[in-house]
Amino acid sequence: MKAELVKRNIKKEFNGWWMISLVGAVVILLPILFIFSSIFQEPNENWLQIQAYLLKNYVLNTFTLVALTGILTAFLGVTLAWLTAAYDFPLKRFFRWGLILPLTIPTYIAIYTYRTMLGYTGVVQATFRNHFDYRINPEWLTVSGIPGAVFIFSLFLYPYVFMITRAFLESQSTSYIESARLLGRKPLSVFFKVVLPLSRPAIVGGTVLVIYEVLGDYGVTSYLGIHTISTAIFQTWFRMYDVNSAMRLAAWLMVIIVGIFILERFLRQGRRYHLSNKSKPLAPVKLKGVSGVAAFLYCGVVFLIGFLIPLVQLIAWAILTFDKIWDASFLTLINQTVYVAVISTVIILILSVVVANITRSHSTFSFIVSKCVTTGYSIPGPIIAIGVLAIFIALDGVLAPVYSNMGLGEAPLILSLSLIMLIVGYFIRFMATGFNAVEIGFEKVGTKYMEASRMLGLGVTKTFFKVDLPLIKGSIISGFVLTFVEICKELPLALLLRPFNFETLATKTYQYANDEQIYEASIPSLLIIAISILSVVIIQMIGKRVKR
Amino acid sequence: MSIVEIKDLAFSFSRKEGPIINDFSFSMEKGEIVGILGQSGSGKSTLLRLISGLEMPQKGTIKIAGITVVDEGVFIHPEDRGVGMVFQDYALFPHMTVKDNILFGLSRVPRKERKQRLDEMLELVQMESFEKRYPHELSGGQQQRVALARALAPKPNVLLMDEPFSNLDADLKESIREELGVILKKANMTCIMVTHDRNDAEAICDYSIVLGKANKATHDLNRKPIQKIK
Amino acid sequence: MNLSKLFKPLLVGTALTIGLAGCAGTNQSESKGEEASKPEKQEVNIYTARHYEVDDEIYKKFTEDTGIKVNVVKGEAEELIDRIKREGESSVADLFVTVDGGVLANAKQNDILQPVTSDVINENVPENLRDTDNNWIGLATRARIIAYSKDRVTPEELSTYEDLTNEKWKEKLLVRSSTSLYNQSLLSSFIELNGEKQAEEWAQGIVNNFARQPDGGDRDQAKAIAAGIGDIAIMNTYYVGLLANSEDPEEVKVADSIGVFFPNQETTGTHVNISGIGLTKHSKNKDNAIKLIEYMTSVEAQEIIAAKNYEFPVNTNAAKPELLKSWGEFKMQELNFDSLGEHNQKAIEIFTKTGWK
Repeated sequence: MKAELVKRNIKKEFNGWWMISLVGAVVILLPILFIFSSIFQEPNENWLQIQAYLLKNYVLNTFTLVALTGILTAFLGVTLAWLTAAYDFPLKRFFRWGLILPLTIPTYIAIYTYRTMLGYTGVVQATFRNHFDYRINPEWLTVSGIPGAVFIFSLFLYPYVFMITRAFLESQSTSYIESARLLGRKPLSVFFKVVLPLSRPAIVGGTVLVIYEVLGDYGVTSYLGIHTISTAIFQTWFRMYDVNSAMRLAAWLMVIIVGIFILERFLRQGRRYHLSNKSKPLAPVKLKGVSGVAAFLYCGVVFLIGFLIPLVQLIAWAILTFDKIWDASFLTLINQTVYVAVISTVIILILSVVVANITRSHSTFSFIVSKCVTTGYSIPGPIIAIGVLAIFIALDGVLAPVYSNMGLGEAPLILSLSLIMLIVGYFIRFMATGFNAVEIGFEKVGTKYMEASRMLGLGVTKTFFKVDLPLIKGSIISGFVLTFVEICKELPLALLLRPFNFETLATKTYQYANDEQIYEASIPSLLIIAISILSVVIIQMIGKRVKR
Repeated sequence: MSIVEIKDLAFSFSRKEGPIINDFSFSMEKGEIVGILGQSGSGKSTLLRLISGLEMPQKGTIKIAGITVVDEGVFIHPEDRGVGMVFQDYALFPHMTVKDNILFGLSRVPRKERKQRLDEMLELVQMESFEKRYPHELSGGQQQRVALARALAPKPNVLLMDEPFSNLDADLKESIREELGVILKKANMTCIMVTHDRNDAEAICDYSIVLGKANKATHDLNRKPIQKIK
Repeated sequence: MNLSKLFKPLLVGTALTIGLAGCAGTNQSESKGEEASKPEKQEVNIYTARHYEVDDEIYKKFTEDTGIKVNVVKGEAEELIDRIKREGESSVADLFVTVDGGVLANAKQNDILQPVTSDVINENVPENLRDTDNNWIGLATRARIIAYSKDRVTPEELSTYEDLTNEKWKEKLLVRSSTSLYNQSLLSSFIELNGEKQAEEWAQGIVNNFARQPDGGDRDQAKAIAAGIGDIAIMNTYYVGLLANSEDPEEVKVADSIGVFFPNQETTGTHVNISGIGLTKHSKNKDNAIKLIEYMTSVEAQEIIAAKNYEFPVNTNAAKPELLKSWGEFKMQELNFDSLGEHNQKAIEIFTKTGWK
């Protein structure tokens, strides 16, 4: 293409919105590239030690966790989705959304709750000993090691698979399933021969989300003393202050992530799992008698174990320790958490809106930008943290002469130790959440109003404020809520990147649990869970309003 | 001076598919109402989007009111082209009243004049008592009239209409067609109208052209004088 | 191209971002500015790695008595030391508190402490429980003892740490993970007293006798004894006290079912570790800081630490609670606490080699 033509083409697209989007994309990509660059640096002695003795163990553990959890969550998620989508049984309407609730309890809270509850002095074993004079073999009930972690991950992360698969089944697969039914196939056969293959993209998509969570976990694995790559990243930074080795570990983890990403594409065979909006809803079949009861029990047990029981236990502990905990310093804690979460969410939403607005044009450039911007979600928190850390330390190094001129002493770590680092970390990790919500909003509104406005003489920016913004209000709000909640729940990033003496609800919970102050941990835990539940409720409400 | 001048226009959505519009040239004078006919996929709507600036051609030039809005080195954004457009589904802003919809395009008009224009437009399309209504409270025909008023209010150089009657019932069509022709002549508006229905073109347009199929290398340019409007 | 189109969104976006982030940043600098401009307030700043409730109680009492405000920052020891070091002259820390003699030695080595001169303190704390140069002052000690099931084991069967490697304890021994600093220091003490080779043999012998892979903290080992998973466990004394006086009746039952044995009484003595407090090199509230150390080593505070946290007081005049008294006097290891830090790296290596997870 001729130079003039290129210039003209660029002129058509280019405006302030683009520049902001590009800045955002760069900020997100930079830490990731930094991490990969560490592979090309000289390894230090510590790394050689790690490589020789420990790396194999880390990788093995990580792999085992991922594989077992993946299988179990897929099983739970799919069976529950199928039950609630295709059948009617007692309390099915409740279970339809109730089975999502385990997701509101972060895994690092679930683990200490269950471990204590099922422990020797916990309520279960104690009750049996005292009231029934029966000593349960403690080995059966110990929540420890990899089995313990898999149990917790599966029970509290299956909703990812559940939600996506159920949505898919309820709307996208109706005609296939009904045809199969009409052709006289028995339910089990319908399930294996039609439902399962059909919903493969949804199942894979949901399971991959679970796997990303497991890969980036620190709370559960460190609590149980399982050495994974993510915990190793933490240890290398925190205990040994070896950023370089931490980066190399992060690079290794990235390789696994990329592998999973490719695997996901392959398994999904390129099909996407959210297709058009127009499709017939599936009509459920009523389950009678024994099967109805069985379905009810299955869902009921999962709901109990995954939500109700831990919640009740936490409330019980909270009542015991409320007076001790609820004081001025705790309120400060809440303030701090909300403060950093709000700032980060606002930044994310602003940028989400900017990027989503330019991706409406569906050009190749904008597609690339939108992909760049959302990569952060699939990257585990520890990796992002290390990448951000490395960059900021480098930045501080570059700015050292400036600092000394300003009289701030020799080579201080100004940027590295400020809240900015944590905010950037949250930004990278959760940009996708805000962006997806806003993008969906834009899709629903379409481009016609925007085009009409431009035909009436308003430029891109004015059009956005006068036309688009009012119309996507709902999506922005839901994006805000979703992102805010995710940030409040987040643990690894906060642990690694927070400035000195800065705690969030999540880090405080973790600290209490690790100091064996389990009862005290219940209060910040309940707050986090409450925020999560609130967001689920709000999303449901907005969803209903949109449907009208 | 022709109000719209198009030379050697070429456009395709992607390199895989062939050009939708190829080697297309056209011009029209002020005050004319031209119809663009053709089957679906022939590029009629695309042509409108190219003129309006919502798409960018691979080749060719477009001049509006003597100003080059697009050529090899120039691209003027839609909001600066002085082109009005009535979309197929009207695209009335759902969160604004009829009044605000019509006033929307008058940002470049001095404040004092805006009320006057508003009243003019409402009278023109006979929707005076509907100022405070919202689009969802209006019937299809009413919405179309408001969309027309909105597009005409800023007194554009040329008005583009994309299938203006496709969303209306058959009975309504006849009466509205007549009304539209009257309104356009009253406003002395230059108009390009895209439609798949010959009758629409015959009822309103001074003449019309037919665009051939997309997979044809060149497009037919038939200037068929269908009918002259009284 | 219209410049205003470019500028507006860019300006708004940038301004917002900088403004918000700036607010975040000023939180940090504001506090720093305050410190610099105002005269010395009546306060003292502690960076502590001890997360015990009893400490907060003592700080509160100190404030009640003297009117000096105590600002506490809790963190991990390495993090705190690193922070103090990095802050250098502008550090606001007056005192550094941690458990484990090795960490105290490490702090001294990192040049973040300064000697404390106070006759009161020297009187309160015996010499062997202070740094040789008074860079840190001991606050309390704890012993790492052998807990045993009263039902299944008699004290006569126990003698030394080394005996724990005997085959008779196969699959009966419980101990927490090697990642615990308490275990690392224990092994370090053996390296110091018995040499590397013997220490490694010991670790291997312990691993061979595991009743289960290390799981949980010290209290979990005690609970595992009650549950019958093992018969003996290596744990710290104060945990026994905490269990025995827990609000949870189940935990009290566990404590009742185990006995406490102080090993190596005939030989090298029981391993004892120390919590200590040090005055930071660039302390801005030196007088207040020293006052606090004097208070914490006074009989009053020492008795509280002993009574509430079941640690052994350093002040010999402080009365011990019943439980501690019931254990009687015991022989401690005789070594310089610095050695715990010296051999830490080696201890970790040995743990890795012997498979002590």
